[in-house]
Amino acid sequence: MKGVVFSEFIEMVEDKFSPEIADRIIDQADLPSGGAYTTVGTYDHAEILSLVGCLSNETSITPGDLVQAFGSYLFSRFHTAHPSFFTGMNSAFDFLGKVEDYIHVEVRKLYPDAELPSLECEAPDTNQLRMTYRSKRPFAALAEGLIRGCVAHFEEDIDIAVEDLSDGAGTAARFVLIRN
Amino acid sequence: MNELEILRRRLEREKKARQAAESIAEEKTRAIFEANRGLQRLNESLEETVLQRTAELIDARDLAVEANRAKSAFLASMSHELRTPLNAIIGYSEMLLEEARESEAQRQFREDLGSIQSAGRHLLSLINDILDLSKIEARKMELFFERFDIRGMIDEVVTTIAPLAEKNKNRLIVTCPDDIGTMKSDLTKVRQSLFNVLSNACKFTANGEIELVAERQRHDGAESILFTIRDTGIGMTEEQLAKVFDAFAQADSSSTRHFGGTGLGLTITRNFCQLLNGRIYASSKQGEGSVFHIRLPATPAQPSAVPEPAADPAPAQAPRTVLVIDDDPAARDLICRNLARQGVRAITADGGLDGLHAAREQQPDAILLDVLMPRMDGWSVLTALKTEPALAEIPVVMVSMLEDREMAFSLGATDYLTKPVDKEKLQAILDRHCQPHTARSVLIIDDEPAVRDRFRHILSKQGWQVTTADNGAAGLAALADAQPDLILLDLIMPEMDGFEVIAQLRRDARWRDVPVVVVTAKNLTVEDRLRLNGAVQKLVRKTDSGLSELPAILGDVFPAEEPAAD
Repeated sequence: MKGVVFSEFIEMVEDKFSPEIADRIIDQADLPSGGAYTTVGTYDHAEILSLVGCLSNETSITPGDLVQAFGSYLFSRFHTAHPSFFTGMNSAFDFLGKVEDYIHVEVRKLYPDAELPSLECEAPDTNQLRMTYRSKRPFAALAEGLIRGCVAHFEEDIDIAVEDLSDGAGTAARFVLIRN
Repeated sequence: MNELEILRRRLEREKKARQAAESIAEEKTRAIFEANRGLQRLNESLEETVLQRTAELIDARDLAVEANRAKSAFLASMSHELRTPLNAIIGYSEMLLEEARESEAQRQFREDLGSIQSAGRHLLSLINDILDLSKIEARKMELFFERFDIRGMIDEVVTTIAPLAEKNKNRLIVTCPDDIGTMKSDLTKVRQSLFNVLSNACKFTANGEIELVAERQRHDGAESILFTIRDTGIGMTEEQLAKVFDAFAQADSSSTRHFGGTGLGLTITRNFCQLLNGRIYASSKQGEGSVFHIRLPATPAQPSAVPEPAADPAPAQAPRTVLVIDDDPAARDLICRNLARQGVRAITADGGLDGLHAAREQQPDAILLDVLMPRMDGWSVLTALKTEPALAEIPVVMVSMLEDREMAFSLGATDYLTKPVDKEKLQAILDRHCQPHTARSVLIIDDEPAVRDRFRHILSKQGWQVTTADNGAAGLAALADAQPDLILLDLIMPEMDGFEVIAQLRRDARWRDVPVVVVTAKNLTVEDRLRLNGAVQKLVRKTDSGLSELPAILGDVFPAEEPAAD
């Protein structure tokens, strides 16, 4: 998993909770990397799961909620770091519909070794978007957080229904977005 | 303290992260460097490949250029080879035809000979077309600029085209102002261009009119000559008109079979016009006829690189003089023009009394006498001429609209011509009756027996004493035996060619002044012309028309009889 995800996670913990908690969960997680993350590096995704587990212990918030919250945070950071991806995007459906064919394509150009999830989209009508997430890694909750972050960014009134497709493993899920 | 510890550990992690980032950066830098080097190598090998391919292409191009050159050379020499036997066929059939006429042989026999001759001429014109086009394509077509009389050029073209026009019962109308003057261009190519367009007009028009108009105009700030050829023939559709100047695309592919020709005439003409800095364009309406315009500069836009040939050397002797007696100024003018072209000096009189006076004063070599004149008619003048001892010996040729040979001959006329006067007939008559008193000798140097025979035939008829040689060396040997009055010289011969013969003649004081007329089938290059310039009196093309003009040309070189010894 790309280093940016880890460094953004640590920053979020430092920011939303405290530097002490960040230091503590790094210490507790006993990470192979020692928690010294650089955005240009690549790290085992298990480290983020360990960090989330430790943070959950520290804060009594479920890992699922934490990951989802991190997703929303990550989206806002994404907007700050890569505004060019938002040019001409007028709605959440606009943006989400282009993740697979535009953003992932660009990411692969920069990181040919990146293992990206697949995100199939279908729009039965103009007010509905069905997105199916599949990954080798259990980050359906992260995807949900990113989707919610996107909806929040465009300030739209959209209901999101989540259907787990992986028996709780978190590797596949369907998100049905309905615009009110 | 705890806070400090946390910060220290954080700093530690940042440091480690920075080091990790640095090593990743270094790794990436190396990878980029390697990738760059790979690209550079690829680039170098690509450049090498490009160089190699370029070299291969240059080789292939050189081969193609060489092959094309060889093809052009082959075509040129082949067409020379083709023309040589063809000239023999045409020449012999002409000779036989003439003899058949004289001996009143069977009509069928004469017709067959005529067919051989016309088929030969047709084949020759096809070969000439193909050769012209191959030369144009090989950019080997050379221009030879000279100043010439436009009216005279048109008269010549019209004389040539008239039989073609008559064949389809077409009326030929020529409009050309008398004061149109001269132009400086390539005479042969202008003439051929007009001929090509006119012969097309004749081919595609029946029982109609063909009009040739020549005008001098100011166009785009320069003097130009506009020739317009208008016919009332079958015309063309828009599609046909669009490709009328394209090679190998006759208006109707079946027209090749129906109307004959290579279909290259207009392509060649367009190329000629472009070479001469002019243009040809056409308009047409199916069923109504076509109009072709040829616009040529009156003088070349830029001074041509080809030097103008030195003026013909002034004849050593006075030209033959012919007195033309006719009351019609136009008729006088026409005959005078014809005479001038044959190198004959013309003097004129507009009536019988004036004519007699001029005859006494000038003692002409011959008199051309009109029959129908006011006050004193031709018969009376003829009678008066024949009764005056000083004038009785001068040959008199009667020229009339009326066929009245018997009357003419009974009154002592030497020959008879009907109006309009045919150039060839006039020439033949003058050649027959205005001969030098003493037989002149001519040495013919040519490697083709057929050509030698033909010249001997033509020249001995005109009273020349003929000797022949089949190459340059043999020619020089013959020259040492007996010095001729004139040498007819071929250029391309085995052993010693014509150029070498000329060089040797000029080196030897005995032969330096013997006039030389070059007769060649070779298309002379500028270099050839420069080699010949000044060294020869005249140049005769070894073509049908060239050869038929030979007597007139020799008349130019030998314009007058020796002054009488007594």
